Amino acid sequence: MSVLPAEAMPAEVLVRVEGLSKHFGVKTGSGQALLRAVDDVSFDIRKGETFGLVGESGSGKSTVARLMLRAYRLTAGRVLFRLSDGTVADISALDDRAMRPIRREMQMIFQDPYSSLNPRMTLRDLIGEPMSVHGATRAEIDARVAELLACVGLRPEYAGRYPHAFSGGQRQRIGIARALALSPALIAADEAVSALDVSVAAQNINLLQDLQEQFDLTYLFITHDLGMVEHISNRIAVMYLGRIVELGETEEIFARPMHPYTEALLGAVPQPDPRKRRSGRRQVLKGEVPSAVNPPSGCAFHPRCPYATERCAAELPALREVGGRQVRCHFAEELALQGVEA
Amino acid sequence: MSNPTLPPMPSERLLDLRDVQVGFATRDGRVAAVNSVTYHVDRGEVLGIVGESGSGKSVTVRAIMRLLAKNAVEGAGGSIRFNPDGDRELLLSAEHKNSRLMREIRGGRIGMIFQEPMTALSPVHTVGTQIMRTVMLHRKCGRTEARARAVELLGKVQLPNPEEMVDRYPHQMSGGMRQRAMIALALCCDPVLLIADEPTTALDVTTEAQILDLLKSLQDELGMAIIFITHNFGVVADIADRVAVMYLGRIVETGSVDDIFYAPKHPYTQALLQSIPRLGQARVRRLKTIRGSVPDPYNVPKGCPFHTRCDFADAALCGTELPPRKAFAGDQSALCHFAGELREAGQ
Repeated sequence: MSVLPAEAMPAEVLVRVEGLSKHFGVKTGSGQALLRAVDDVSFDIRKGETFGLVGESGSGKSTVARLMLRAYRLTAGRVLFRLSDGTVADISALDDRAMRPIRREMQMIFQDPYSSLNPRMTLRDLIGEPMSVHGATRAEIDARVAELLACVGLRPEYAGRYPHAFSGGQRQRIGIARALALSPALIAADEAVSALDVSVAAQNINLLQDLQEQFDLTYLFITHDLGMVEHISNRIAVMYLGRIVELGETEEIFARPMHPYTEALLGAVPQPDPRKRRSGRRQVLKGEVPSAVNPPSGCAFHPRCPYATERCAAELPALREVGGRQVRCHFAEELALQGVEA
Repeated sequence: MSNPTLPPMPSERLLDLRDVQVGFATRDGRVAAVNSVTYHVDRGEVLGIVGESGSGKSVTVRAIMRLLAKNAVEGAGGSIRFNPDGDRELLLSAEHKNSRLMREIRGGRIGMIFQEPMTALSPVHTVGTQIMRTVMLHRKCGRTEARARAVELLGKVQLPNPEEMVDRYPHQMSGGMRQRAMIALALCCDPVLLIADEPTTALDVTTEAQILDLLKSLQDELGMAIIFITHNFGVVADIADRVAVMYLGRIVETGSVDDIFYAPKHPYTQALLQSIPRLGQARVRRLKTIRGSVPDPYNVPKGCPFHTRCDFADAALCGTELPPRKAFAGDQSALCHFAGELREAGQ
């Protein structure tokens, strides 16, 4: 059993991810190839914080969450998780049976509130299912479901209804109630508001923040919406082609990015401010995200990077500590990159 | 063909919608999707239409293209007029889906691009074939000429190696490349109007920025007008000259892009602008929200459609009477009893 002593990681850390990798075998025209979805990813998530994972499609951010929650088996690396009794478990080493009691402590909220709820189950069964799996009685479940519905701003009388009777925003709340059912410590929210309309997304973001305060939750918040991630996250990691390129305090990274990809991402966000477009537009990043089956040599970002040199094509930069954050760029100290103006 | 009861369109006017109404007959009764929508597009301008899902923005442009579903019912009083060359007003609202005129206009004078290029393009034909067929149909030209035109267009939308791309199938391209191919298809007959229905919604931010820049440079070069539909205020601020905000099938506010962003008059526009988290904004504890959710279209509230969610609503007035359209300087107007009397909550 891979239970480690409480001292295995600092007291404020809830999850530690070390050298996480996930490679998928894919069929190509000429046989098998290896897709490196996640490559050597390491970070800590501290208790009570919101940790944002940012990146474009194919960057590996969802795969990281799924690996952390052990929905996939790891190719390499370790995931350490602090259990509610204070001990630390290396969940990468556990089999499915040993994993089951630990699953109570980590839950997930999905992007699409239509496909993530079984249309033939009532809210009571949807929200109560995780509890019945973990051996709660009917009466316990009924009481808890009513309580959870109230928590997410839905009427307890709705317990007997089916998901189709609810709007997208309400369905997302049902998904949140289900994630809360077992009083988890960590909730991974994968694009949890991306499918919602602006006014409804704002309501649900506020709800998530209220619940965080109320229940001492820690969030892993995955999104491609940089405005949203800036609003909700304490710290962020920016991913590109399966690797972390920059990691640090949200405010500092947004004010002064140190990796050229972070700069490009921030510059690409269209801002709800018509004056900004007339005051001259940011440089638009050229080209497209390369294939993870056949990634570029050296720094994966070098073919699109406006600052790239020969060294970048030859040598993979290490993720290293620069000015209180981690950056994967040979020239992090020399470049003066542009952040977001306040 | 012009309608004698309507005043003639000014020469700069390309498209004019008045009082357009579209409902759908469904098993559960009639749903009003578009109510009394009036807007216009001048030659060479970009009109941005913003609204949440179900606001009727897509249904309205489908009415322009005469591509409404079979169960759609259009109101008799409405008119859609289109003046492609400045010398003849065409009353599109009187045309049938398959009329000779509409088949000439669709793909010929009006091009359209959609949100999801994978479903909008045919998966079993190469991109080149799809462009060539449209060119051959509208230009009555041969294969060689059409193919040359397809290659030229693929170059124009900045696809690398257009000679090679012309023989690719959509599944062999990335999302951004497919969207470029769809733009090439929409532009193949030099339309005077391009309708873009959420063309960047499915794309990553860096690809979105590329497509927006491409559309802007093509518009500079070709001079067509664009109706740009989106739910993203950032995108509207980036591309539109004028903006129309829709809610529950009505245009609740319209004005220049600056007026909409810096001096919004309708409480819905104001609330929407405040509910988006902005980059670089001082971290606030809570986002402003609009309470409740968009009412379902079977039960549109009486009076002002927004009164159930509005912070300024007066139940006696807003709950019973549809507000008048109040006009302001610079062609701005808002559908609100109290427009102009509220604190302007722009930035």
